Order: sequence, then structure tokens, then C-alpha cells
Amino acid sequence: MDPSEVEFLAEKEVVKIIPNFSLDKIYLIGGDLGPFNPGLPVDVPVWLALNLKQRQKCRIVPPEWMDVEKLEEIRELERKEDTFTPVPSPYYMELTKLLLNHASDNIPKADEIRTLVKDIWDTRIAKLRLSADSFISQQEAHAKLDNLTLMEINTTRSFLLDTLNCMFKLRSNLQPGSSGGKAQDH
Amino acid sequence: MFITDIRKEFYDFVVNQRVALLVSSDIDALCACKILQALFHCDQVQYTLVPVTGWQDLGTAFLEHKEQFRYFVLINCGANVDLLETLQPEEDSIFFICDTHRPVDVVNVYNDTQVKLMIKQDDDLGVPSYDDIFRDEEEEGGDDSGNESDGGSEPSGKRRRYDEVCYAAAMVIFELAWVLTKDTKDMLWWAIIGLTDQWVHDKITHMKYVTDIATLQRHVSRHNHRNEDEDNSLSIDCMRISFEYDLRLALYQHWSLFESICNSSYTSCNFKLWSMHGQKKLQEFLADMGLPLKQVKQKFNSMDMSVKENLREVIEESSNKYGMKDIRIQTFGVHFGFKNRFLASDVVHAAAALLESTEKDESPGDNFIKALDCLSRSNLERLHGGIDLAKKKLMAIQQTVASCICTNLILSQGPFLYCYLLEGTPDVKLFSKPMALTLLCKYLLKAFVRSTRNKRCKLLPLIIAAPMDVEKRTVIVLGIPPESETSDKKNFFGRAFEKAAESTSSRTLHDHFDTSIIELKMEDRTKFLDALITLLS
Repeated sequence: MDPSEVEFLAEKEVVKIIPNFSLDKIYLIGGDLGPFNPGLPVDVPVWLALNLKQRQKCRIVPPEWMDVEKLEEIRELERKEDTFTPVPSPYYMELTKLLLNHASDNIPKADEIRTLVKDIWDTRIAKLRLSADSFISQQEAHAKLDNLTLMEINTTRSFLLDTLNCMFKLRSNLQPGSSGGKAQDH
Repeated sequence: MFITDIRKEFYDFVVNQRVALLVSSDIDALCACKILQALFHCDQVQYTLVPVTGWQDLGTAFLEHKEQFRYFVLINCGANVDLLETLQPEEDSIFFICDTHRPVDVVNVYNDTQVKLMIKQDDDLGVPSYDDIFRDEEEEGGDDSGNESDGGSEPSGKRRRYDEVCYAAAMVIFELAWVLTKDTKDMLWWAIIGLTDQWVHDKITHMKYVTDIATLQRHVSRHNHRNEDEDNSLSIDCMRISFEYDLRLALYQHWSLFESICNSSYTSCNFKLWSMHGQKKLQEFLADMGLPLKQVKQKFNSMDMSVKENLREVIEESSNKYGMKDIRIQTFGVHFGFKNRFLASDVVHAAAALLESTEKDESPGDNFIKALDCLSRSNLERLHGGIDLAKKKLMAIQQTVASCICTNLILSQGPFLYCYLLEGTPDVKLFSKPMALTLLCKYLLKAFVRSTRNKRCKLLPLIIAAPMDVEKRTVIVLGIPPESETSDKKNFFGRAFEKAAESTSSRTLHDHFDTSIIELKMEDRTKFLDALITLLS
């Protein structure tokens, strides 16, 4: 998958906005939205929130987890544990990027939040690399990792699969006279 | 007619329509265009942007688009000539004009249906009443000449003209955004750049500039106040606009201090840097401030912090001793990210250099788009490219001024001073463009006034001519009013040029929106000049 595809999926997540216009309920294929009244918070998908923000028709309210203290706790927890800790949102990385790029004036302490989220991401990716490395070197058959998000899986997906394919080819070539000597390509 | 409520009488009209935006080629127009584009994007208004460089362009653009569009918005063009007469539109075409060229043609003012002028009106007007004008016409039998002498205005003069205060187009459109409460810091910054463009190119008086700065300062405080509350400071990437009482040295933060002092018209004319004596005075000046030459010739950002610390105050103090009382000027600066700081005048110079760039493969349309791009925050390399071009342009202006003064190329022709740039002059291609030539002309006049001993010559206006198109053998001719402290920037050369051209049947093209700039065939130069001399004596 392409990272932009993952970001596209992330845009379906719901976020709260405060519009400055009024509009009756709208009926979209994905569900109903609204009604919109000036000054009253309403939940909308991120794609709509960003569009309205760019047209200066709303103010975005940062999600609850996008807070300096909470993220610091999560970061500390992540650093302590060897396994993956539960994430604040299955699309935390994409949401942070989207919201901080387009609505950083609505999010207090935006720079610190960006740094904290990046720290959490780095720690988790490091763990993922370690885990993949030990998986391959110990020639395990299967592994189970909890609490990974789609974006993190996506970073390692193609590389891991290619590596495993290569290893399979090499291994099957090592065993003389089996499988006709030639590996099958998938 | 004048629009009084810009929201009801302009924006609400166009917001559900398709609009053609015809934008003139100057920085103020570009800024107004950016603000309007941003508003259109917010409300998803469909528009077509057409850059125009003169009346012919405007006419062609209108013909191309008149089938598809009913509403035309003209920025910095169209007010000073009878628009309906020139374009001959259908009954249902409506023109919204936001133009800083004065005087406004009276016919445009009194057309109630098709021509709507977005011009802010102050109380001390001077619009002649409808009856005065049109009754005069019947009595005088349609005599068409509005006189242009800088004295009084006779009844026939009233017919054609209408002068009043002139707000930058960008400021007018910014006010629209404010009324719609859709104004952002970006739009405010563009309004500031529009105003600064008027000041850099000497189109408004100092008093007006200071008044408008105060107006914009209120908006700046409002925006800054909105965001800085409690501990929630903004991300470093957010744009911050600040009021600056900064030095009048062009591009000094992106250049070395020394280069900037040498190439800014204020300092160069005060020191008379084209002479050896002037160069020595400059060295004394730097020594007086205790600035080592090595520091001063370095890139500004690499200067020692200890030197940069109180630089503005130190320079101001020393400048007072050397007769430069106004080395500091009120302006605004912007800063976003860790290393991007720009003053409004930096952006004006950069955009002007891009707009009039004389590279071979670039059409005026390309240049327009590049200049428009450099105004966005996301196009910083374009802006830096523009700054480099601007440095070359300023250096070229400085060298041309120096050589003109030293070789006495400015001659008094009686009622005016005259200077002709020969074809072989270095960088003469740069001066085939109106804004660059205007800067050169004003700088040249200031320098001349400082260097001549002839008291009478100091009060004369200056006409400059430079080769425009070598194949077509034309020159561009431009006239500016005399240098004076209290000048109100009124330029009467437009009518003078027209009359001189008529009387000698010279082949001229009065294409520019600014009537004091014309194109003339090289061969007709002498007779044209002679006619001007007789006319203005």
C-alpha cells in the first residue's frame, strides 16, 4: 500500500469542529452529517473538517489524546515496555500530520505535540525493526504483534515480504534435489 | 458609479457567478489579486485570471471573454479612461473596477449601470456635480480637451477628471475580506505589500503612507492579539507579522550592509556615492559607527551578533549627523519558521524584479505567474530567486545613475530635464520595462538635484527615454514631476504627451494604464521633444 492510501483511510476518522455557518443535516453515502450551527460543536470526518478549515468555515478542536501531558505519558510507557502499547488512535500519525499541517493555529503547543508524536513513532518503529530482525534470524514460522497501526505495518510490509521470499528461494536452493531445484516465484 | 457597500454591491453579486479577473502588471494589483483569489477559493467562485499589461491587452482580453462572462473585475486598470467607449461592451456586461490610477474619468463615475468603481471615498471630495459637467458639454459644443497644466482646473478640465485620495487596491480588497470576516494573516500581509509597493514606487505621499500604515497596524494588532493568549503560544511555523521601525536600506537583511547602503537611493543620494568624495564620506560614516569594514561587507546574517544588536539605533544616530534624518521608516515584517524573515519592501523588490524579468524565454504571462507565486509562503525559492534578481536590478540602477551624473547625460531643455539612455548602455534592457524605468527615473532626479548647482534646474520635472524594442525601433518615454518635499504626486505628462504626439503626428503608442508612460518611434524622438518643449514653456 502507498502511504497516501493509508492517509486516505485515516481521513474517515471523526473529529470535532466548531463551524461558523449554518446548514441543515446533509445525507451522504457514508452517513449523515450535521446539522451545522455557528458556535456549536459537531462531529465530522477529517476530510470534511480540513476542507472547511481551508475555506475558513470552521475551527478544529484537537482530539482528546492530542495533549502534551497525555502524549508524554504514552511516550514514557512506550519506552519502558518491550512490546507495543495501545495507541491513542489507530491513525495517530496521520491525524497528527494532517491536523498540524492545516490547523496548527487551533492546536495549542503544536510544536511539542509534533515532537512527542515523532518520539512515540520512532520508538515503535525501532521495536518493529527489532522484532522483524529476530523473526527472520530465528526462522520463526509465525509471529503475533498487538497494537500495531496500519501505517506502521505499511512501512515494513513490502520489505519484509520481499525478504521472506528471498530467504525462501535461498533455502530451497540449498536443499539438493528437492522441489526440482528451482524455487517457485510468487 | 461608486460602490458604497463593497459586500452587498460587489461580493454578493459575483459570489454565484463566473467572473473574469483582469489584473494589471504591478505589485499592488498582484496583491489585490491574491486576496481576491483566496476569497474566491473559500466560496468556490469560478473565475478566470487574465494578466493585462496595457489597453490593447485589456481590449483583446475583453473580446476573448465577453461571450462567456458577464462580470468583469478590473484591478488597477480601467478607471482613468472612458471604459465603455473603449471596450464597447454589450448592455449586460458589468465592470467592477478597483484602480489606483488617477484622475478617474468622469464618465465612469456617472455611469449607473455598467461601471462600478470600488474606490474608498473620503469626505473632502471634489466630484463635479452631474449637471455642471454635462451642461458644460452642451454649451462648449463638445470641446474635447481637458487641460493639464498644473495650475487651476477650468470648467472644461472638470469634465474629464476627478482626483481624490488613493488607497492601494490590495487594501480595498483586504477591507472586503475583513467585512466578510474572512481575513487571514496571509491576506493582511498581502495588503501590507500592496501599500509598500505604492511607497517604493513613489505613488503616494509620505503622509498618506503613514496614515495607511496606522490603519494596517490596527489590523496587525488585532490578529496578533487573537493568537497570543495565556501559555498557548503559536507553532513556530505560523506566520507572525510585526510592526517594524526599520532602516530604509533596500534588501539589507538579505545582502551585506555595505552593498545595501551603496545601492539604496536614499543613502546613495545623500552621500553622493557616485563621486570619490562620497565614497570617502561613506567610509567615515562606517568608521563613525564603529563598524569594521570586514563585518559590513559580509552577508548580513553572518555578521557578529554584537554588531547586529543595536544596529538600527546606531545607524540612526550616525545618520542624523550626516544629514539623513529619515533613515528609518515605519513598515512591517513577517516571520515564519526559524529562518524566514522578510520586510515588506524586500518582497516588493523581489516581486517587481520577477514581474519585469528580461530573460529570453519568458513571456509576460509567465513572469506574472512567477511574481504571483513568490507572494505565497510556500514558494520560498521563488522569493529568493526574486531577491537575487532585485539585487542585480538595484545595482544596475545605481551604476546607470552614477554614469549619467558623471557624464552629464541629463540636460535641461527649458521647461524640463531630459535624459536619453543610449542603446549600448549596460543593462539597458532592464530599463525597457516601466517599473524599473520609473525607479531609475526617480533615483536619477534625486541624484541630479543633489549634485547640480543650478537652482532653477532643481525645480524641473524629468523626462527619460530608453530603447524599448530594438527591432521595432521604439523607445519608452516616461515623465515624472519635480522633486519636492510637499509634492502630491500628480503627474500631468499624460496629456502633454498626447498633445505633443498629435501636433507632430509622431507615431506613439499610449498603451500603459499610467498615461505618463508611452512608446515612441525612435525617428520621431526629436520632433516629439521639440513639441513638448514648446507646449510646456
